[in-house]
Amino acid sequence: MEVNEQLIRAITQAVIKELQKNGSVPAAEAGNAGNTQTLAGRTRMRPKHSYEGAEKAPQGTDPKEIVIGVGAAFQTEIRATITGIPLEDVIRNVRAGIEEEGMTSRVVKVLDTSDVGFMALQSARLSGSGIGIGIQSKGTTVIHQKDLYPLTNLELFPQAPLMTLDTYRAIGRNAAKYVKGEKVTPIESTNDPMVRAKFQVKAALMHIIETEQLDPEKGMIKWEV
Amino acid sequence: MKRSKRIEALDRRAVNKDGFIDEWPEMGFVAMSSPYDPKPSITIENGVITELDGKKRGDFDFLDQFIADYTIRVDRAKESMALSSLEIARMIVDIQTPRKEILKIISGITPAKMVEIINHLNVVEMMMGMQKMRARKVPGNQAHITNLKDDPVQIAADAAEGALRGFSEEETTTGVARYAPFNAIALLIGSQVGRKGVLTQCAVEEATELELGIRGLTTYAETLSVYGTEKVFIDGDDTPYSKAFLNSAYASRGLKVRFTSGSGSEVLMGSSERKSMLYLECKCLFMTKGAGAQGIQNGSVSCIGVTASVPSGIREVIGENLVAALLGLECASSNDQSFSNSDMRRTARTMLQFMPGTDFIFSGYAAEPNYDNMFAGSNFDAEDFDDYNVLQRDMQVDGGLRPVTEEEVIRVRREAGKAVQAVFKYLGLTEVTDEQVEAVTYAHGSKDTLKRDVASDLMAADDLMKRGITGIDVVQALMESGFTELAQSILNMLKQRVIGDYMHTAAILDEDFQVMSGVNTPNDYLGPGTGYRVTGKRWEEIKAIPHRINVNEF
Repeated sequence: MEVNEQLIRAITQAVIKELQKNGSVPAAEAGNAGNTQTLAGRTRMRPKHSYEGAEKAPQGTDPKEIVIGVGAAFQTEIRATITGIPLEDVIRNVRAGIEEEGMTSRVVKVLDTSDVGFMALQSARLSGSGIGIGIQSKGTTVIHQKDLYPLTNLELFPQAPLMTLDTYRAIGRNAAKYVKGEKVTPIESTNDPMVRAKFQVKAALMHIIETEQLDPEKGMIKWEV
Repeated sequence: MKRSKRIEALDRRAVNKDGFIDEWPEMGFVAMSSPYDPKPSITIENGVITELDGKKRGDFDFLDQFIADYTIRVDRAKESMALSSLEIARMIVDIQTPRKEILKIISGITPAKMVEIINHLNVVEMMMGMQKMRARKVPGNQAHITNLKDDPVQIAADAAEGALRGFSEEETTTGVARYAPFNAIALLIGSQVGRKGVLTQCAVEEATELELGIRGLTTYAETLSVYGTEKVFIDGDDTPYSKAFLNSAYASRGLKVRFTSGSGSEVLMGSSERKSMLYLECKCLFMTKGAGAQGIQNGSVSCIGVTASVPSGIREVIGENLVAALLGLECASSNDQSFSNSDMRRTARTMLQFMPGTDFIFSGYAAEPNYDNMFAGSNFDAEDFDDYNVLQRDMQVDGGLRPVTEEEVIRVRREAGKAVQAVFKYLGLTEVTDEQVEAVTYAHGSKDTLKRDVASDLMAADDLMKRGITGIDVVQALMESGFTELAQSILNMLKQRVIGDYMHTAAILDEDFQVMSGVNTPNDYLGPGTGYRVTGKRWEEIKAIPHRINVNEF
């Protein structure tokens, strides 16, 4: 078959039309004037990941177990927190903290909500011990207990940009101490009053990436790290 | 490329550390008007709204239905919707048209119509509208009282100083959630030391917040959050109906309460339904009105980083404050969250509420250094007190604060610390040492205070809740410890719940515990020579800033 210029153009146009239909690229005519970027018409940040064949995470029974529920984009669309800490290091440190206190951990991916409070509560309800940790892909973390109100918590770390690997390790340790019923001193609060100015738009974009990957039918799935 | 030294200097400016993004309506990054916003329309059949802003009743989500059934005055809709948006916009600015007439017209319009009206106004016109539409005649101000350590002694001392400086309301929250009852009690006590009649609240998870209110450990509530899309509402485990029910729960116990909303939240939570921030905020405010709430805290609030990132974002913020006032709601107009690295930009943003005056210009102002502000930083903090006082003096504007003397500050801080010490001792809570009271008295922030035993504090706080301690126990503890006047003040605050007058729109209390609200002291501005003017005793107070040249000693 002869591949001429006309044919290539026709194929290209067909592909672009298809991409526009699923929102991966903006429609050319929707572009705004001036030198601002053309975002109008674009409907997604990233293509949808398929969780075809993913295994549902089972209810835990081991009273020493803590479930860590990670966000929908965790290690798939997003590989590092808002300040660039690799997500595999985040998980490794939380798990190490839990192990240091003699408890065990299991990682699941939460596909029915991207709200960190609910991610943590659902993880707590799934875990054998009744204690769970929710971690959004941007790094925001909550320690929850299965019988608390959804919007309360044991410990909340609302400012993702202030998180370090030491904090994640301490979170693992404290979660384990809650399981053991010890008198726990919460990890000291940290605060950067300029965090919103520096990071909120980035946080919004990361949350959009996380939220658009939700797959409510799948619920909570096994997640190997 | 060889760099221009001029451009390099500009690149280093604080404002260039802020986040900015282009308009992107599909993701909700658009301030005032999205191509996907609906056009205003209404159809009424047999007294029921069957079509609203282009949507048939069968397609309503729960926000549409709530607004159609409880907010829009069906008896006024035909007349109001017949007026053009431009006509209504002009009436809002016009000094011949009284506030009451505007409220009547607005009670019959739809959310999309409101969006059109606001889009006709520039920021100066919005400020003129706010000057006339604010509910209470005299503007007010609210403080945040928090610290990194959740130290109750510092909360009491900062509350006392804040009250002394003029705040009518004070709000606390926690770093560690279980500290809530300690923070609430410390704030209740400290506030009354600084100035009698200051209202206090503790912003925490809603069930806990309600319980603290019912027990009389707080005297109002604010954090009843509402959202502009059904999805975000459901994510928060809520509906307009559950919020209305919670509002009634507070009302049933005689507590003042306002809702909280603000643009940008739906974008931040990834569910904006492609609508403009202003349209979604109008949905929130119409819902709030329909739920029977007397007021709202709005103006983007904690999502200001998102709203401020798009073109016309800061104009949208005063726009949504004005929408609240147009609906007859008390407006606590945000300014309570840091959003810019630039001092110039953060000040300019606040001028839009400061100059016309709102019911609460800040909601709130960090009455501690921002590193101690557990709402993640306010737009103004304790280090800005003198700047703010000078702004009031420069422009002869009442921003709700007043200059103070160092002697007064030290006196009220110490007394508040000692009162908390006595109450903790009487109620058998964790110990407060003399050294701690002394450190806090002279402190600027928690970097200057002593460490507390957090684990013991939390156990004592849990125990306090289990024992059923109430506001009356605090009154008794103060009385028995010799703080008679302070005990009487807190009892007077508790009595407000029986009297109930402070549940009226935009109510605050004066130092004789008398209510000043939009009902008994309504805003009557109608152009020059009318409304609230800064004169007399209040003007003398504002003039008396520290650091004036003393001519006699010159």
